[in-house]
Amino acid sequence: MTKRIRSQIARGSAELAILALLAEQPLYGFEISKRIQEKTGGALHFTLASLYPMLYDLEKRGWIAGRWQPNRAGRDRRYYCLTPAGKKELAPLRREWNFFFQALDRLAGVTNA
Amino acid sequence: MHDWIALVRERLLPLDLPPKEAQEVVAELAAHLEDFHEEQIGKGARESEAQQKTLNEIVRWRQLARNIQRAKHTEEVMNPRTKQLWLPGLVSLTTALFSPMVVALMRLGDLPQSLWLALLPVCGGAAAYLSRRAGGQRFERIVSALFPVGALLACFCFILLVSTFATVRFFTLSDFVHYSKWAFPQGAALLLGALPFLRTRSGGTPSLS
Repeated sequence: MTKRIRSQIARGSAELAILALLAEQPLYGFEISKRIQEKTGGALHFTLASLYPMLYDLEKRGWIAGRWQPNRAGRDRRYYCLTPAGKKELAPLRREWNFFFQALDRLAGVTNA
Repeated sequence: MHDWIALVRERLLPLDLPPKEAQEVVAELAAHLEDFHEEQIGKGARESEAQQKTLNEIVRWRQLARNIQRAKHTEEVMNPRTKQLWLPGLVSLTTALFSPMVVALMRLGDLPQSLWLALLPVCGGAAAYLSRRAGGQRFERIVSALFPVGALLACFCFILLVSTFATVRFFTLSDFVHYSKWAFPQGAALLLGALPFLRTRSGGTPSLS
Protein backbone atom coordinates (compact mmCIF):
# COMPACT_ATOMS: atom_id res chain seq x y z
CA MET A 1 0.00 0.00 0.00
CA THR A 2 2.78 2.41 1.01
CA LYS A 3 4.68 1.56 -2.14
CA ARG A 4 1.57 2.18 -4.21
CA ILE A 5 0.98 5.57 -2.60
CA ARG A 6 4.62 6.50 -3.12
CA SER A 7 4.54 5.49 -6.74
CA GLN A 8 1.32 7.43 -7.30
CA ILE A 9 2.79 10.54 -5.72
CA ALA A 10 5.94 10.17 -7.79
CA ARG A 11 3.91 9.74 -10.93
CA GLY A 12 1.65 12.68 -10.19
CA SER A 13 4.56 14.98 -9.37
CA ALA A 14 6.43 13.83 -12.47
CA GLU A 15 3.46 14.66 -14.67
CA LEU A 16 3.21 18.10 -13.14
CA ALA A 17 6.96 18.66 -13.56
CA ILE A 18 6.88 17.71 -17.24
CA LEU A 19 3.77 19.72 -18.06
CA ALA A 20 5.06 22.80 -16.20
CA LEU A 21 8.38 22.60 -18.01
CA LEU A 22 6.79 22.22 -21.42
CA ALA A 23 4.51 25.17 -20.69
CA GLU A 24 7.64 27.33 -20.89
CA GLN A 25 9.01 25.98 -24.17
CA PRO A 26 9.14 22.85 -26.33
CA LEU A 27 11.90 20.45 -25.24
CA TYR A 28 13.11 17.00 -26.18
CA GLY A 29 13.44 14.07 -23.79
CA PHE A 30 17.06 14.53 -22.77
CA GLU A 31 16.54 18.27 -22.20
CA ILE A 32 13.44 17.57 -20.11
CA SER A 33 15.30 15.22 -17.77
CA LYS A 34 18.25 17.62 -17.52
CA ARG A 35 16.09 20.67 -16.84
CA ILE A 36 14.12 18.87 -14.16
CA GLN A 37 17.30 17.77 -12.46
CA GLU A 38 18.78 21.27 -12.64
CA LYS A 39 15.68 23.09 -11.52
CA THR A 40 15.08 20.80 -8.55
CA GLY A 41 18.71 20.72 -7.52
CA GLY A 42 18.80 17.00 -8.21
CA ALA A 43 15.83 16.22 -5.95
CA LEU A 44 13.89 14.94 -8.96
CA HIS A 45 15.76 12.74 -11.35
CA PHE A 46 14.46 10.99 -14.45
CA THR A 47 16.25 8.11 -16.05
CA LEU A 48 15.51 7.23 -19.62
CA ALA A 49 13.47 4.25 -18.40
CA SER A 50 11.21 6.41 -16.25
CA LEU A 51 10.90 9.38 -18.58
CA TYR A 52 9.82 8.01 -21.94
CA PRO A 53 6.89 5.80 -20.88
CA MET A 54 5.55 8.87 -19.10
CA LEU A 55 6.03 11.10 -22.14
CA TYR A 56 4.27 8.56 -24.35
CA ASP A 57 1.45 8.28 -21.85
CA LEU A 58 1.00 12.06 -21.71
CA GLU A 59 1.07 12.13 -25.49
CA LYS A 60 -1.58 9.42 -25.70
CA ARG A 61 -3.78 11.44 -23.38
CA GLY A 62 -3.39 14.38 -25.74
CA TRP A 63 -1.71 16.67 -23.22
CA ILE A 64 1.58 16.90 -25.10
CA ALA A 65 2.56 16.43 -28.75
CA GLY A 66 5.89 15.30 -30.14
CA ARG A 67 7.50 16.41 -33.41
CA TRP A 68 10.88 15.62 -34.92
CA GLN A 69 13.04 18.64 -35.65
CA PRO A 70 16.76 19.43 -35.55
CA ASN A 71 18.26 20.68 -32.29
CA ARG A 72 20.94 23.37 -32.03
CA ALA A 73 23.61 20.84 -33.02
CA GLY A 74 21.60 19.98 -36.14
CA ARG A 75 20.61 16.52 -34.92
CA ASP A 76 17.03 15.35 -35.20
CA ARG A 77 15.33 15.21 -31.82
CA ARG A 78 11.69 14.67 -30.90
CA TYR A 79 10.51 17.93 -29.37
CA TYR A 80 7.47 17.87 -27.11
CA CYS A 81 5.15 20.79 -26.65
CA LEU A 82 2.09 21.34 -24.50
CA THR A 83 -1.22 21.01 -26.35
CA PRO A 84 -4.26 23.18 -25.55
CA ALA A 85 -5.67 20.20 -23.61
CA GLY A 86 -2.41 19.98 -21.64
CA LYS A 87 -2.56 23.69 -20.85
CA LYS A 88 -6.10 23.24 -19.65
CA GLU A 89 -4.99 20.34 -17.45
CA LEU A 90 -2.00 22.14 -15.95
CA ALA A 91 -3.85 24.89 -14.07
CA PRO A 92 -6.09 22.61 -11.97
CA LEU A 93 -3.15 20.23 -11.45
CA ARG A 94 -1.09 23.09 -10.02
CA ARG A 95 -3.96 24.13 -7.75
CA GLU A 96 -4.46 20.59 -6.51
CA TRP A 97 -0.80 20.15 -5.67
CA ASN A 98 -0.72 23.53 -3.96
CA PHE A 99 -3.69 22.47 -1.88
CA PHE A 100 -2.06 19.12 -1.16
CA PHE A 101 1.19 20.72 0.04
CA GLN A 102 -0.68 23.25 2.18
CA ALA A 103 -2.72 20.48 3.75
CA LEU A 104 0.41 18.42 4.38
CA ASP A 105 2.12 21.45 5.85
CA ARG A 106 -0.76 22.09 8.22
CA LEU A 107 -0.62 18.47 9.27
CA ALA A 108 3.09 17.84 9.46
CA GLY A 109 4.72 21.28 9.43
CA VAL A 110 6.99 20.26 6.59
CA THR A 111 8.08 23.80 5.65
CA ASN A 112 9.55 24.48 9.09
CA ALA A 113 11.36 21.14 9.27
CA MET B 1 31.35 6.39 -32.61
CA HIS B 2 28.66 4.20 -31.07
CA ASP B 3 25.74 2.76 -32.94
CA TRP B 4 23.16 3.55 -30.30
CA ILE B 5 20.29 2.74 -32.63
CA ALA B 6 21.53 -0.81 -33.13
CA LEU B 7 22.06 -1.21 -29.40
CA VAL B 8 18.56 -0.01 -28.51
CA ARG B 9 16.95 -2.05 -31.28
CA GLU B 10 18.71 -5.18 -30.13
CA ARG B 11 17.97 -4.77 -26.42
CA LEU B 12 14.46 -3.36 -26.60
CA LEU B 13 13.09 -6.41 -28.37
CA PRO B 14 10.41 -7.61 -28.26
CA LEU B 15 8.66 -4.30 -28.84
CA ASP B 16 5.18 -5.08 -30.04
CA LEU B 17 4.41 -1.86 -31.89
CA PRO B 18 3.72 -1.04 -35.55
CA PRO B 19 7.08 -0.91 -37.41
CA LYS B 20 7.09 2.85 -37.97
CA GLU B 21 6.22 3.56 -34.37
CA ALA B 22 8.81 1.10 -33.08
CA GLN B 23 11.43 2.69 -35.31
CA GLU B 24 10.58 6.10 -33.92
CA VAL B 25 10.84 4.88 -30.32
CA VAL B 26 14.20 3.27 -31.02
CA ALA B 27 15.50 6.46 -32.68
CA GLU B 28 14.32 8.59 -29.78
CA LEU B 29 15.85 6.40 -27.07
CA ALA B 30 19.08 6.10 -29.06
CA ALA B 31 19.24 9.89 -29.34
CA HIS B 32 18.81 10.16 -25.59
CA LEU B 33 21.66 7.71 -24.96
CA GLU B 34 23.83 9.58 -27.44
CA ASP B 35 23.22 12.89 -25.65
CA PHE B 36 23.80 11.31 -22.27
CA HIS B 37 27.06 9.72 -23.42
CA GLU B 38 28.30 13.02 -24.84
CA GLU B 39 27.41 14.78 -21.65
CA GLN B 40 29.49 12.30 -19.64
CA ILE B 41 32.45 12.80 -21.96
CA GLY B 42 31.96 16.56 -21.64
CA LYS B 43 32.13 16.19 -17.87
CA GLY B 44 35.55 14.57 -18.25
CA ALA B 45 34.64 10.89 -17.99
CA ARG B 46 36.78 8.37 -19.85
CA GLU B 47 35.19 6.59 -22.80
CA SER B 48 34.67 3.28 -20.99
CA GLU B 49 33.32 5.06 -17.93
CA ALA B 50 30.93 7.18 -20.03
CA GLN B 51 29.72 4.11 -21.86
CA GLN B 52 29.07 2.23 -18.64
CA LYS B 53 27.14 5.14 -17.16
CA THR B 54 25.09 5.42 -20.34
CA LEU B 55 24.21 1.75 -20.28
CA ASN B 56 23.25 2.07 -16.61
CA GLU B 57 20.48 4.44 -17.68
CA ILE B 58 18.46 1.33 -18.58
CA VAL B 59 18.87 -1.78 -16.52
CA ARG B 60 15.63 -3.59 -17.24
CA TRP B 61 15.13 -3.42 -20.99
CA ARG B 62 12.24 -5.87 -21.05
CA GLN B 63 10.35 -3.87 -18.46
CA LEU B 64 11.03 -0.69 -20.39
CA ALA B 65 9.65 -2.30 -23.55
CA ARG B 66 6.54 -3.36 -21.64
CA ASN B 67 6.09 0.10 -20.13
CA ILE B 68 6.45 1.77 -23.51
CA GLN B 69 3.92 -0.57 -25.08
CA ARG B 70 1.51 0.04 -22.22
CA ALA B 71 1.98 3.80 -22.44
CA LYS B 72 1.49 3.88 -26.18
CA HIS B 73 -1.26 1.39 -26.68
CA THR B 74 -3.22 0.42 -23.62
CA GLU B 75 -6.53 2.00 -24.34
CA GLU B 76 -8.74 2.96 -21.48
CA VAL B 77 -12.16 1.37 -21.48
CA MET B 78 -13.65 4.83 -21.98
CA ASN B 79 -11.99 8.01 -23.08
CA PRO B 80 -12.22 11.11 -20.84
CA ARG B 81 -14.89 12.75 -23.01
CA THR B 82 -17.15 9.72 -22.63
CA LYS B 83 -16.66 9.60 -18.87
CA GLN B 84 -17.04 13.32 -18.34
CA LEU B 85 -19.85 14.13 -20.75
CA TRP B 86 -21.60 11.36 -22.66
CA LEU B 87 -22.06 8.82 -19.87
CA PRO B 88 -23.34 11.33 -17.27
CA GLY B 89 -25.52 12.86 -19.99
CA LEU B 90 -26.96 9.47 -20.78
CA VAL B 91 -27.66 8.85 -17.08
CA SER B 92 -29.49 12.17 -16.88
CA LEU B 93 -31.48 11.43 -20.03
CA THR B 94 -32.38 7.90 -19.03
CA THR B 95 -33.45 8.74 -15.50
CA ALA B 96 -35.42 11.76 -16.69
CA LEU B 97 -37.23 9.75 -19.37
CA PHE B 98 -37.81 6.60 -17.43
CA SER B 99 -38.91 7.93 -14.08
CA PRO B 100 -42.53 8.47 -15.30
CA MET B 101 -42.49 4.93 -16.74
CA VAL B 102 -41.24 3.44 -13.47
CA VAL B 103 -44.01 5.23 -11.60
CA ALA B 104 -46.53 3.88 -14.11
CA LEU B 105 -45.14 0.35 -13.78
CA MET B 106 -45.46 0.56 -10.03
CA ARG B 107 -49.13 1.17 -10.69
CA LEU B 108 -49.02 4.51 -8.99
CA GLY B 109 -50.86 6.11 -11.86
CA ASP B 110 -49.62 8.83 -14.18
CA LEU B 111 -46.79 10.88 -12.84
CA PRO B 112 -48.05 14.45 -12.50
CA GLN B 113 -46.00 17.03 -14.40
CA SER B 114 -45.13 18.88 -11.20
CA LEU B 115 -43.87 15.74 -9.50
CA TRP B 116 -41.80 14.90 -12.56
CA LEU B 117 -40.28 18.38 -12.45
CA ALA B 118 -39.52 17.81 -8.79
CA LEU B 119 -37.63 14.62 -9.73
CA LEU B 120 -35.55 16.28 -12.44
CA PRO B 121 -33.07 17.95 -10.06
CA VAL B 122 -32.05 14.45 -8.94
CA CYS B 123 -31.33 13.51 -12.57
CA GLY B 124 -29.35 16.70 -13.21
CA GLY B 125 -27.51 16.32 -9.92
CA ALA B 126 -26.56 12.72 -10.67
CA ALA B 127 -25.17 13.69 -14.08
CA ALA B 128 -23.18 16.64 -12.73
CA TYR B 129 -21.85 14.51 -9.88
CA LEU B 130 -20.72 11.73 -12.25
CA SER B 131 -19.12 14.25 -14.58
CA ARG B 132 -17.28 15.95 -11.72
CA ARG B 133 -16.14 12.58 -10.40
CA ALA B 134 -14.68 11.75 -13.82
CA GLY B 135 -12.76 15.04 -13.79
CA GLY B 136 -15.20 17.03 -15.94
CA GLN B 137 -14.95 20.81 -15.93
CA ARG B 138 -17.91 23.05 -15.15
CA PHE B 139 -18.94 23.17 -18.80
CA GLU B 140 -19.12 19.36 -19.07
CA ARG B 141 -21.08 19.14 -15.82
CA ILE B 142 -23.67 21.65 -17.03
CA VAL B 143 -24.01 20.08 -20.47
CA SER B 144 -24.36 16.56 -19.06
CA ALA B 145 -27.01 17.76 -16.59
CA LEU B 146 -28.95 19.52 -19.35
CA PHE B 147 -28.63 16.58 -21.70
CA PRO B 148 -32.34 15.57 -21.61
CA VAL B 149 -33.41 19.08 -22.60
CA GLY B 150 -30.85 19.15 -25.41
CA ALA B 151 -32.02 15.76 -26.63
CA LEU B 152 -35.65 16.85 -26.46
CA LEU B 153 -35.02 20.04 -28.45
CA ALA B 154 -32.95 18.12 -30.99
CA CYS B 155 -35.82 15.68 -31.33
CA PHE B 156 -38.33 18.49 -31.91
CA CYS B 157 -36.00 20.07 -34.48
CA PHE B 158 -35.78 16.77 -36.32
CA ILE B 159 -39.57 16.29 -36.30
CA LEU B 160 -40.04 19.86 -37.52
CA LEU B 161 -37.57 19.24 -40.35
CA VAL B 162 -39.28 16.00 -41.38
CA SER B 163 -42.67 17.67 -41.17
CA THR B 164 -41.50 20.52 -43.42
CA PHE B 165 -40.79 18.08 -46.23
CA ALA B 166 -43.84 15.90 -45.61
CA THR B 167 -46.97 16.21 -47.72
CA VAL B 168 -49.03 16.90 -44.62
CA ARG B 169 -47.42 19.19 -42.06
CA PHE B 170 -48.06 17.29 -38.84
CA PHE B 171 -45.73 19.44 -36.76
CA THR B 172 -45.65 23.17 -37.30
CA LEU B 173 -43.41 25.91 -35.99
CA SER B 174 -46.07 26.93 -33.48
CA ASP B 175 -46.13 23.32 -32.23
CA PHE B 176 -42.38 23.50 -31.89
CA VAL B 177 -42.59 26.72 -29.87
CA HIS B 178 -45.44 25.31 -27.78
CA TYR B 179 -43.59 22.12 -26.84
CA SER B 180 -40.19 23.77 -26.52
CA LYS B 181 -41.57 26.06 -23.81
CA TRP B 182 -41.33 23.06 -21.52
CA ALA B 183 -37.60 23.03 -21.99
CA PHE B 184 -37.20 26.06 -19.71
CA PRO B 185 -38.69 24.66 -16.50
CA GLN B 186 -37.09 21.28 -17.22
CA GLY B 187 -33.72 22.89 -17.83
CA ALA B 188 -34.06 24.97 -14.69
CA ALA B 189 -34.95 21.89 -12.63
CA LEU B 190 -32.02 19.90 -14.01
CA LEU B 191 -29.66 22.81 -13.43
CA LEU B 192 -30.94 23.24 -9.90
CA GLY B 193 -29.90 19.69 -9.11
CA ALA B 194 -26.52 20.22 -10.75
CA LEU B 195 -25.77 23.42 -8.78
CA PRO B 196 -24.08 21.78 -5.76
CA PHE B 197 -21.70 19.98 -8.10
CA LEU B 198 -20.70 22.98 -10.19
CA ARG B 199 -18.37 24.40 -7.57
CA THR B 200 -14.71 23.56 -8.05
CA ARG B 201 -13.74 21.35 -5.18
CA SER B 202 -11.45 23.11 -2.73
CA GLY B 203 -10.73 19.86 -0.97
CA GLY B 204 -9.81 16.38 -2.06
CA THR B 205 -6.60 14.78 -3.06
CA PRO B 206 -4.50 15.74 -6.02
CA SER B 207 -4.71 13.76 -9.24
CA LEU B 208 -1.99 11.27 -8.68
CA SER B 209 -2.89 8.72 -11.26
